[in-house]
Amino acid sequence: MPTGVNNLLSRMETTCGALLYELQIIWDEVGESVAERDRMLLELEQECLEVYRRKVDQANRYRVQLRQAIADAEAELAAICSALGERPVHIRQSDQNCGSLKAELLAILPQIEEMRNRRIDRKNQFIKVLEEIHSIKNEIYRSDRFASNGPAVDEADLSIKKLEELQREMQALQSEKSERLKLVLDRMKYLDSLCIVLGLDFKKIVGEIHPSLAEAAGSKNISNSIIEQLGTAIQNLRELKIQRMQQLQDLTTSLLELWDLMDTPIEEQQTFQKFTCHLAASEDEMTEPDILSINYINCVKTEVSRLEGLKESKIKELILKKKAELEVLCRKTHLIPDSDSAMEIAIDAIDSGAVDATFVLEQIELQIARVKEEALGRKEILEKVEKWMAACDEESWLEEYNRDDNRYNAGRGAHVMLKRAEKARALVNKLPAMVGALASKVIVWENEKGIAFTYDGVRLLSMLEQYMVLRQEKEQERKRQRDQKKLQGQLLTEQEAIYGSKPSPVKNHSVKKRPRSSCGGASNRTLSLGGPTLQTPKREMPPSAKATPNIRNSKKNEIINKYRPKDDGLAPPSSGRRVVGMAGHPAKHQSPNLVNARQRESPVVRKPFSSISFTNSSKTNVTNTLEDRNKRHKEKLHKTQTNNKPFTTPPKTISIAEQENRTPQTMGISVASTPSTSSVPVQTPTTPPPLQTTITPVPSTKKTVPEEIEYSFEERRAGFVLPRSRLMTVTQV
Amino acid sequence: MTVAPPSSTGRELSDPPTDGVSNIRFSNHSDHLLVSSWDKSVRLYDASADVLRGKFMHGGAVLDCCFHDDASGFTASLDHTVRRLVFNYNKEDTLGRHDAPVRCIEYSCTTGQVITGSWDKTLKCWDPRGASGQERSLVGTYTQPERVYSMSLVGNRLVVATAGRHVNVYDLRNMSQPEQRRESSLKYQTRCVRCYPNGTGYALSSVEGRVAMEFFDLSEAGQSKKYAFKCHRKTEAGKDIVYPVNAIAFHPIYGTFATGGCDGYVNVWDGDNKKRLYQYPKYTTSIAALSFSRDGRLLAVASSYTYEDGDKPHAVDAIFVRSVNEVEVKPKPKALPNLAA
Repeated sequence: MPTGVNNLLSRMETTCGALLYELQIIWDEVGESVAERDRMLLELEQECLEVYRRKVDQANRYRVQLRQAIADAEAELAAICSALGERPVHIRQSDQNCGSLKAELLAILPQIEEMRNRRIDRKNQFIKVLEEIHSIKNEIYRSDRFASNGPAVDEADLSIKKLEELQREMQALQSEKSERLKLVLDRMKYLDSLCIVLGLDFKKIVGEIHPSLAEAAGSKNISNSIIEQLGTAIQNLRELKIQRMQQLQDLTTSLLELWDLMDTPIEEQQTFQKFTCHLAASEDEMTEPDILSINYINCVKTEVSRLEGLKESKIKELILKKKAELEVLCRKTHLIPDSDSAMEIAIDAIDSGAVDATFVLEQIELQIARVKEEALGRKEILEKVEKWMAACDEESWLEEYNRDDNRYNAGRGAHVMLKRAEKARALVNKLPAMVGALASKVIVWENEKGIAFTYDGVRLLSMLEQYMVLRQEKEQERKRQRDQKKLQGQLLTEQEAIYGSKPSPVKNHSVKKRPRSSCGGASNRTLSLGGPTLQTPKREMPPSAKATPNIRNSKKNEIINKYRPKDDGLAPPSSGRRVVGMAGHPAKHQSPNLVNARQRESPVVRKPFSSISFTNSSKTNVTNTLEDRNKRHKEKLHKTQTNNKPFTTPPKTISIAEQENRTPQTMGISVASTPSTSSVPVQTPTTPPPLQTTITPVPSTKKTVPEEIEYSFEERRAGFVLPRSRLMTVTQV
Repeated sequence: MTVAPPSSTGRELSDPPTDGVSNIRFSNHSDHLLVSSWDKSVRLYDASADVLRGKFMHGGAVLDCCFHDDASGFTASLDHTVRRLVFNYNKEDTLGRHDAPVRCIEYSCTTGQVITGSWDKTLKCWDPRGASGQERSLVGTYTQPERVYSMSLVGNRLVVATAGRHVNVYDLRNMSQPEQRRESSLKYQTRCVRCYPNGTGYALSSVEGRVAMEFFDLSEAGQSKKYAFKCHRKTEAGKDIVYPVNAIAFHPIYGTFATGGCDGYVNVWDGDNKKRLYQYPKYTTSIAALSFSRDGRLLAVASSYTYEDGDKPHAVDAIFVRSVNEVEVKPKPKALPNLAA
């Protein structure tokens, strides 16, 4: 008991005593009765008791309250502990009951406070984890069944174990999320690489799957469906890639083949190097950007098709070259190539794509091989034929030489000629034997092969036969000439006996080289050109003999032939076939008017591509032959020529005409004739004919104009007629 | 309209003239083809695309046409008129008139003048840059000995072939008189004259299946090179049939040339080596005109009856464009000397 309270109590006792004493005094003074005094004292004592009792009740109630509070606190503590999953340590402490109730309560309260805080913390942790889990689940199953509702925390179980459990779940989810994210990113990366290789727009493709994927930053959708869609997109692109790769590889293979085939220069190849280097690459090795894009493939495709086109044309060229080779070969071996037209048709067929070019090429090569083989078999005989022809050449030269009566005149090169003649004579003597040997060889060959030996399409045997026949004829001719000469000699000697001098014999027939200059004056010499005596043997020559070197009987012909073009089509008379075709037509050319006819009749047929200057000389020649005729047919000719359309004569000829003073002036007039529609066949006239061609000019012109005016097709079509006044000037010209 | 497959005759142009073709010409700048015809029309084709790009109708048959540049051209007409055509605007105006039908027309890039030859026996030069109207654009009139039948230009040289077998060679810088007066080496009427692309001479064809190769150089050495050859003939039962040679066209690169005759054949020749290089398959009717494109890769062939036998039924007029294979036009080295020689 503290002293202060004791003091207060003692003081209260004293004041009670003093008050009682004071009451005694008052009572004494008042003189209260003892009974009153006792009742009063009892009353006082009862009242005091009442006060005490009230206070005790109060204290008792307070104690109960305290106890209740402590129990409550303890219960809460226990609940929290159990929720947190911890052992309630404080209960044991309360058992010890270390102090008063108030102390106990005070001891519990902070504990409770702490536990409450802990619980709140724990709860927050839970909420956080749960929210995380929820959000992850949401992300993963977003588009799927997972309904989104907020996280609910189970207040009853906030234990560490539970928390750890949740955290584990969360971590699992997190790892799944990152895994998925990684998967998505991987797939997108793969997709991106595919797109680059294929030259496609990655963003567009990804955007089609989900818009969020196209954004560079930001959360990606990682739901199952997206992953699946990415997967299918990748699958599709890979298939596309493989397909394109196949295509590209096919193209590059053919490209390489074409390059190889055509020796394409490296520079040209360089542009496509990056394609070709991928020829053997597997799918994964194709990583270069745009290597499989449509553009590039098209680019390669066009290159391939370009090269193919090139190849096509090259093959065509090759075919033509081979054809030319074949022709040359045939010409060399004097074989007649297989029908030309078949080849033309084949080439046309290639053009139209009906036949494979390589097939035709093969055919030609086969043909060439065949011809080569055949040529080998013919070689021996051909050599002999050539020898024979050379001998024939020499023979004809000798013949001509023999005809030259001035041959023994000492002059430049005379001795050379003599030597040559000597050799030629020896050769000519050997000729019959040569022909015989050749013929027997040919017969053996023919028997062996079972086919006729042809030379430029003509059977060689028949050529030889003809040659022999010709030779015999010539022999006879020579004999006759010899006889004649003898006769002439006799005559001459007789004449000499009479007149005393011996005229130079057949000087007129002298054969000289054709003068190069085309100018007139040397009438004798040029006359000999068209001299009838010389003409005859040649004209009688069988056509096939013409194909033999006999055609080059004379020097002059050689000169002409120098201009003979190599192409068959250009030189009809010199080609064996052509001549055969014309057999029986000694005068082979049409001649729209007289002079032309003469020109054609002369053996010196102007060859195509022969020089014009030569024509001039031949005209000179013509003039001269005309002279001869003029002597006989002067009257007639004169008439016909005036009737006929006069032709233009080059000035040179005119000068001759004047010199000779024989040709009628009509020759000089130069109004060129219109051969009209020249497609009308023109025959060789034997007499100077009126123009045979049927011209159908405007009839009126023909009537009104005595001399016909030429009109071009266009003028005739347009009905254009020169006015009369102009006509006068024309005639004056 | 039949779409012809690539055949031996070449690709046929769709929408051809309805009457005889008088001339066809390729542009110097593109594959455009100008076609003049007796049906009074002038047509502009894109030959490689086979598209009709433009069509002009004139008052009379059109006898000749030529390009100015790719956008305009000139025509010579039977109605005596020389016209200028502007393709892009489909516009035409008259450059001037002759006294008779105008037979041929040429445009000279070097002088910028248009030269026309007419049956009125004159040559006229025109300056197309001058304002419209004869008195402004006419540069000069030059009398010819006869009606002008054909003309050709190379550089400053102009070769004029007329009736009466006259050939005049002019220098465009001095048109007052001919530089050379010649007579055709051929005995018959001249059909066509064309200068060599190298400017050393000209080829001249006649109605009697013959072509003469002439040289400008008057020296003896120069003249010794000239020659003539026969072509476009046929032997039938021993008779020779000769056809007029209507057209000559030189290859711009190789200098070889194609000739076309009334026999319907087109032949390609190598004038230097005196050889025939190629003969195209026969066309159904006469070859009226020929033209090589600027690079020589295309050859336009006008297969059109040229009225040589008067008015008679004939095959339809057609224009073929064939792509030229190098083998067909490239000169070949001289053949091996003939073995028998």
